[in-house]
Amino acid sequence: MNDLTKRFSEIAFEERGADHLLLMVERHGNVGPVLISRGEDPGDARTDVPYQLVTILTNILPFMGKAKVALVCRRCDEKALAELAKRGIVDDASVVKIGLACSKEQVQRCRCSDCVPSKVDIGEPSEPCPEDALAAELTAMSTEDRAEFWKRQFRKCNKCFGCTVNCPVCFCDDCVLEERTYTPEEGIPPGQAFHLIRSFHLADKCVECGECERSCPADIPLLTLRKMVNRDMKDLFNYTSGDRERKSPLLTTLDDQPLEDDVHAC
Amino acid sequence: MTEFNPTILAFCCNWCSYAGADLAGVNRLQMPPNVHVIRVMCSASVKPEYVFKAISQGIDGVLVLGCHIGDCHYLTGNHRTAKRIPVVKKILKDVGLDDKRVRLDWVSAAEGEKFQQVITEFVNEVKALGPNPLRGVRM
Repeated sequence: MNDLTKRFSEIAFEERGADHLLLMVERHGNVGPVLISRGEDPGDARTDVPYQLVTILTNILPFMGKAKVALVCRRCDEKALAELAKRGIVDDASVVKIGLACSKEQVQRCRCSDCVPSKVDIGEPSEPCPEDALAAELTAMSTEDRAEFWKRQFRKCNKCFGCTVNCPVCFCDDCVLEERTYTPEEGIPPGQAFHLIRSFHLADKCVECGECERSCPADIPLLTLRKMVNRDMKDLFNYTSGDRERKSPLLTTLDDQPLEDDVHAC
Repeated sequence: MTEFNPTILAFCCNWCSYAGADLAGVNRLQMPPNVHVIRVMCSASVKPEYVFKAISQGIDGVLVLGCHIGDCHYLTGNHRTAKRIPVVKKILKDVGLDDKRVRLDWVSAAEGEKFQQVITEFVNEVKALGPNPLRGVRM
């Protein structure tokens, strides 16, 4: 147990009264997420490993009963939690957040423009990155060049579903991408529709954590695509995902009244 | 070389646009034959998935037609469509496909002439764009 683990446990269990703590640790040379209770020794905590613990949290929370779970939360985790709470997937009251400010290298890697959590407990806040260089380059390209670029990128997809499984804001039990209508059972690549459908589904909830890009074995610049779509949402509806108070514009009428049923919540 | 004949899908809502198309037919209004009309119960039941699937399989243009805002049989169905289709268009633009390939318009049951006008305009527009770059791509 290193100092960091002690500090995390202290914040979670002593200061904020949580029952469990979810964090990334290194033990026997392996880094992975663990859930600990008070007084347990998980190993050395690591904060330099980018991983969305929210994805794990949403999977375990249904089995946790009334227990309060503390979570090491980057800004993107925090926004993902807001998106999930807004849609009733996660109960705000059962989650205790421990703010972690990303390091400079991490911010650079994610081209993150919003990297400081609302309450910083660990780490020093870094300067946000102004913009995604590849997105700017693509926007400046001609339509044909851009089509050629993405065609070549999407051809590398081997339908591993890593981007979907690891996404903190993908919460549907039955994902449309697993329907044979949209993703053929046989053969790779799955076709451009796969990525376009995913872009649409994430349009009003992507928090730009970059987990899709990190987990992609084919190195498709998915985060760049997400950033481009998020910018479009900002242009169209002046909406930024991760806002706890504002309902997604795709789930409201043109006069911003909520639609009676949220059948298509995803 | 023969002239490019686009293949176009038109999703028409059962209550307004499909009746409008019917009216255009009854009135024998002339329009290009490139359009395949698909009847749906409401323009909101046209999932963005359908549009993406069509475009990625080489359809040259997708037309989504619904009732005018406020006239929806299901009250707010077309509000949903009005919010979705602009996002669909933006996503297509981001991956380098022309957003003119998708068009959303409102045609009521009494607007046979508007139906003819929308179809003619859209077919000419897509003709000018040329074939879908994804047509024939082994994906």
